[in-house]
Amino acid sequence: MTRGLVLAIETSCDETAAAVVAEGKHVLSSVVSSQVDIHARYGGVVPEVASRAHVDLITPVIAQTLIEAGIEHHDLDLVAATRGPGLIGSLLVGVSAAKSLALVWDKPFIGVNHLEGHLYSSFLEEPDLELPMIILLVSGGHTMLVSMDEHLTYRVLGQTLDDAAGEAYDKVARYLGLGYPGGPIIDKLATSGQAKISFPRPMIGEGYDFSFSGLKTAVINYVRKNPDELDENIAASFQEAVVDVLVTKTIRAAKDQNAVGVCIGGGVAANSRLREAILDACPKEGLKPFIPSRSYCTDNAAMIGAAAWRRFQHDGPSNLATGADPNLRIPE
Amino acid sequence: MLILGIESSTPQVGCAIGGHEGVLASAHSSRGKRHAENLTPQIEFVCEQARVELQEISVVAVDIGPGLYTGLRVGITSAISIAFGLNVPMIGVTSLDLVAYPVRHCHKLIVAAIDARRDEIFHANYRQVPGGIQRISEPLVTSPEDLSAELLASNDEVQLVGDGAIRYADYFKDLKRVDLAEPGLAFPSASSLVQLAHAKALREDFIKPSELKPLYLRKPDALEIDKQKRRVDR
Ligand SMILES: [Zn+2]
Repeated sequence: MTRGLVLAIETSCDETAAAVVAEGKHVLSSVVSSQVDIHARYGGVVPEVASRAHVDLITPVIAQTLIEAGIEHHDLDLVAATRGPGLIGSLLVGVSAAKSLALVWDKPFIGVNHLEGHLYSSFLEEPDLELPMIILLVSGGHTMLVSMDEHLTYRVLGQTLDDAAGEAYDKVARYLGLGYPGGPIIDKLATSGQAKISFPRPMIGEGYDFSFSGLKTAVINYVRKNPDELDENIAASFQEAVVDVLVTKTIRAAKDQNAVGVCIGGGVAANSRLREAILDACPKEGLKPFIPSRSYCTDNAAMIGAAAWRRFQHDGPSNLATGADPNLRIPE
Repeated sequence: MLILGIESSTPQVGCAIGGHEGVLASAHSSRGKRHAENLTPQIEFVCEQARVELQEISVVAVDIGPGLYTGLRVGITSAISIAFGLNVPMIGVTSLDLVAYPVRHCHKLIVAAIDARRDEIFHANYRQVPGGIQRISEPLVTSPEDLSAELLASNDEVQLVGDGAIRYADYFKDLKRVDLAEPGLAFPSASSLVQLAHAKALREDFIKPSELKPLYLRKPDALEIDKQKRRVDR
């Protein structure tokens, strides 16, 4: 019999997700029901719309993940849910579902930090990754460089001072009238364009913090002055600037901190140019790159299951009076 | 038959357990914005007090709203999850029915009114019928002015009940023929829920967890969509 079976639930933003993970590393099933089509109408995630969809989707998604894993609830050892950071109304749906199931199935419950989930996504495919490593966490809500020195021990080296990288993608895509979400659209468009416009690389030489607001403004100003420039070229040039900043800082951090390797996580880590650039840059500096599958970069519950099992081994279960915390930070 | 009832559509959150013998145990708290923190321990507590195992529950009843969305979703998600986890049927009751229930012995027109925030009220009308009361209007959302004008225009003696009536008491207190119920009856009670659900359970008026839908009565908020757009456009 498999041991250490975790049912994990993730509802921090606009994906309703559940997974069954064994011992924090073997994914038995991972179901993600995306609301992206619903939110595309509004050009972004509308919290109330997201929360309503989570209520409708939560039990069907959990039922499906149990079926796909081929297990019964008796087999579970732990029920986990993301408790923050994220949208409060969305988080509460996942936390309420997980606590209720833990109660009726008489299993321990644990509340998980979504960011810690992203940091652990790499271990789903590479359980023996060597530490210390530098993790670049990039999504619509976060842009940060984290040093994982040991398991469950982190230092946040830098983060964005304004827009998250994913937010910059969304805003540029919206300005160009390309739709939502911006990341995949710009990524696709960039493949048929040339990165010939030299957009600024904000703060590329300074520290580990990021700033993407100025880059977004530079792109918008350029488009105003050059209305005939092809969207493909703008997309490729903008993406090159973002990736250049992300990769330069990540590699510098890894060298400065004497890290063994580099990982990426978060929705923007699904970006093909970023993945390519990390794979390219690391060997030149003697660093081991690890790039998780795209489905483990974007929000998913398998990564929550991975972090949940690690945390549970270390801290034990959470209290059933646990609520959601929309502003939870990476535990340092 | 054992029924677990959960209500969470106002600043209060509560649950109760009961069945043929009536309500065996109940718990309520109303510190606001702590529905998720309070509800799970409350469920554990009422089971202990009623000396039943949660696994013995045969029906999960839930307040489906209307009410304050975030709290409402905590109760509904918990109820759906428990019913799913135990593989038992559900019964949905509106929050307005729950607020009207304790004043069911009154002969007047009963108007249940729950605070919808943003200067609005969720409300519905009830009449006495043999053996209880019956809702005679669909739950609606309206402004307190409009509700007060409607009450003024009717010829009925009215019993107004619920936290909406209390919050907007200024609109109602000078109306002739309108009585405001005491603040102790302002919130839906989980005990009322179990009693109402028991009657429905005897008629096998059940639904599946997947069929249960919250009663929001408002579209996802145009205001919020504007706010979100501004945030992204900043
Ligand atoms: Zn995320």
